[in-house]
Parts: sequence; C-alpha cells; structure tokens
Amino acid sequence: MLDAVLLFRDALYGSLIIAVTCALLGVYVVLRRIVFVGAALAQVSSAGIALAYWLAGHGIVAGFAQHPEALSLAATLASVAFFAGAVRGPIPPDARIGVWYAAAAAAGILLIAKSAVGEAHDIFLQGNILGITRADTMELLLVSAPVIAGQVFFAKELLFTSYDRETARTLGYRVRLWDLGFYLVLGVVISISMQFAGVLLVFNFLVLPAVTGLLLANGMTGTLLYALGAALLAAVAGFALSIPFDLPTGPTMIGVSAVLVMLAWLVRRVQRRG
Amino acid sequence: MTALVSFRDATLGYGQHAILRGFSLDILDHDFLGIVGPNGAGKTTILRTFLGSLKPLAGTVTIAPGLRYGYVPQRDPVDSLFPLRVLEVVLMGRYDRIGLGRRPSAADRDLARAALERVGIPHLADRSLNALSGGQRQRTMIARALVGEPNLLVLDEPTNGMDLVATTQILGLVRDLHERTGITVVMVSHALNEVANYVERIALVHEGGHTVGTVDEVMTQQSLSAMYGIPVEVSSFDGHRIVVAQRTREGNRHA
Repeated sequence: MLDAVLLFRDALYGSLIIAVTCALLGVYVVLRRIVFVGAALAQVSSAGIALAYWLAGHGIVAGFAQHPEALSLAATLASVAFFAGAVRGPIPPDARIGVWYAAAAAAGILLIAKSAVGEAHDIFLQGNILGITRADTMELLLVSAPVIAGQVFFAKELLFTSYDRETARTLGYRVRLWDLGFYLVLGVVISISMQFAGVLLVFNFLVLPAVTGLLLANGMTGTLLYALGAALLAAVAGFALSIPFDLPTGPTMIGVSAVLVMLAWLVRRVQRRG
Repeated sequence: MTALVSFRDATLGYGQHAILRGFSLDILDHDFLGIVGPNGAGKTTILRTFLGSLKPLAGTVTIAPGLRYGYVPQRDPVDSLFPLRVLEVVLMGRYDRIGLGRRPSAADRDLARAALERVGIPHLADRSLNALSGGQRQRTMIARALVGEPNLLVLDEPTNGMDLVATTQILGLVRDLHERTGITVVMVSHALNEVANYVERIALVHEGGHTVGTVDEVMTQQSLSAMYGIPVEVSSFDGHRIVVAQRTREGNRHA
C-alpha cells in the first residue's frame, strides 16, 4: 500500500493542500450560513470547466482543453459578484442562490453531454484527484499559500465582520468590502480546486471538516484546528484506503469525512451527558 | 453642553422611502437619552443614520469630530453559532485600535478583563458566550462596547426578550455607568415604561412626528395622549412612572 501511496505522492500532496485550504475557509462558510453559496459556486465552477471542454471539443477555442480553469475562474468570479451584492427585491437570498445552483448544474450536465472530450465527464462528477501532477501541486500551492496566510493575518477582521457586521461597521470596518474579499477568495479556491477534486469533494472539504470542528471545539481556534485535523485525516485516510481497495479516491475521502462527523457528534453527545 | 450628534430638519429613511420628516435632535455630551417609540416608528432609522449606515434623505446630521461609538446591538442579530468565549467577544471592541493584521496584546486582554469587571462578570471571561444567560450575554456586549473607550454608548433594544429581573439589572447597570463615568448614553427601545424610569431625556418617536424633552416634560398625560392618539394615563408608584393606555368605551385596550 505504501508503494502505491508513494507512486501517487504528488496527488496526495495536492489533496492535502485542497483539504487544508477548503477546511479553513469552510469554517467561515458554515458559520456565515452560506453553505449553499459554496455548493452553487462549485457548480458554477464545474459548469465553467464543462463550457471550456465543450468549446475546445468543438474547435471553437482549442486552448481551453489545456486550461479549462480560465473559464471556470471567470464564471465563478462573475457569480461571486452576484452573491456578494446587496439583496433587494421580493426574492429571498437562498432562493436566488438556488436558481443559480440549478441553472449552473443543468448547464454543466448539458455541456458535458455534448462535449467531445471524455475527460470532462470524470472531472465533472468526481474530479481527477489521482491525476494531480507535481506542476498541479505547485499551482495549488501558489493559490493556497496566500489564502491561508491571509486568513491567519486577517483572522480577527474576518471573525469580526462575519460575527457582528453591525458593530464592526460602527468601528469603521467596511463590511461589504470584507464580504467581497471573502467571496472572491472562496471563488478562486473553489475554482482552482474544482478542476482536480470535482464538485463533491470540494463541497465536502468546505463543509464536513468545519462541522466536525464545530461539534468538537468550544472556541474559534479549537474549531479551526479540529477542522484542519479532520480534513487532513480524511485526505490521508481516504487516499490510503482507496488505492488497495480500488475505490474512487474522492468519494472515499468524503466517506471518511462523514465518519469523522458522526464520531464527533457521538463525542459531543457523550460529553453533554457527562 | 456640546452636541455630539445633531439632526437638523432631517428626513430619514431608506432609498426613496421617508420614515421621519423634519427630525431635529441634539445628543449632548454627558446626555442619557432614550429614543422611544412603537415598532416601525423610525427608531432604528435614527440609530442607523447617526451610526453612519444610512445617509439622511434631506436636512443635515452633524457628528462631532473624533466621536467614537460603543455599540450594543440587539440580541437577535448576534449569531449564537459562533463558538466564542466571553473574553474573545469583549476584545472585538478593541480590534480597530489594535490595527489591521495585529494580534491583541496582553494590555488589550487586561483592558477586556477590566471591562468585564465594570459590568460585574469578571469570573465569566473564559466561559463560552453561548452558555450564558440573556442578562450575562448583554453584560458581555456592554463590556465590549466599553473596552474601546467610547465617548458615546449606544444600546439598541437592550432588554428585548429579557425577564423582569434581567431587565432591571441591565438598565440599572447602564444608569450606574452613566452616573459614575459621565459617559453619554443613547438607549433605543420600544418599552416606554422601562426606559422612562432610567434616562434623563426622551425622544419620543411615533408615526408622523416626534417630541424631545426631559422625562418630566415628555411623560405627561396630555403629551402622551396627543402623541399616541388615545387616552393615556401616567401614574406614579414609589417614584416610578407607569404609563397605561385607558380602556375605550368598546372595552378594547389600546396598548
């Protein structure tokens, strides 16, 4: 098993980078109650990839086959502007996100159905985590390092503008700008991670480790650390289990994440009874 | 006395929708003012305008240079999902002073503990905010407002959803802080009976108008009856004013 893991070590490193970055952002995604935004952005991002492959497959823009992330990123950032904007009118925000989600999912499926590039099917459904190369890992690192550093550097600003917007505003924080920045970072991370990990795995790392952290910890630091640990464990264990048992790697990682959530829930119940 | 905030013939509202017209009010240094009125009368609009979230649609709102708010929000918008300890929440009141990207220092933590001491809950510093009672949570929020060393303390519906004991304690705490330190306090509330017995001046806001004056000037039978448009009785019991809407002939109670 170790040999197999070593053979795919770049893929493992890539998975760990995606897991850590998404899990740290995911704590705020869950706390801000914008889980559905994360799901919608992942769908939009995948629709962007599908569009890139469709365009490339039909010879319209051949270069997109090598760089589908360009369209994915553009589509995701356009959606970010939509989600971060002011909410007006009779339609509630979650319904607006729902429309976006359904439309993006349908567009992605339709484009893939007519795509001439077979690879798009795998990427759309479960990503291609084992296909991560050294160059991909470096690309992921290039995006993730500043995101993680920014989250550490601006930890208190991110916390305050997420927790109590009104009070933060009275102390001079430009809350809308902080929101926009958060959504932009989230969009970039989802878009870049999507092309390797697929919709489900990115969504998993955004939500499940954060839920594990919230179930186990009493403070913000503890929640972030537990989320980080749960994401790393899910990535490593999912990776290690998927190879010898010939399981799809992404869903195996999701399975491990789900088991960790259940264990955390049990621990919390036992603690509360005690 | 110096005015920290001045509204002059201001029209306040959202977008093109005016909620209050011809609104004039001075919030004076060392004031203890209650902005009181029924739900929907425009209290929150006034609050948001002087806090800077809304611009007046017409007229002027002047804020004294260097004015620093200590804001205590309503309890509902503060999210209980966040796993925060009391001291962490109080420290937020100093975040802008600490500066972008910097961590709270030992001195900041000492100031946060001192603020908790001032509101009577120094022993709860390391407890989870979500484990506290409504009154304790509100004390935490007052401590957070104080730790930033404000010159104007603003409380939005500070006793919403609290029982009689917690309400009395919180209002007593705010009055005590005002009397001991002279800090200017503005309290926004729909509960006239509660606020009137603690503040020194009242801005009574209602649909279509407002009255500003000392408690003695505003809390009269004639003034309140004219303001609410129904017969209102102002009684006194053991030094406390009690406002009661009189029953109409049809037997319907108005308030």
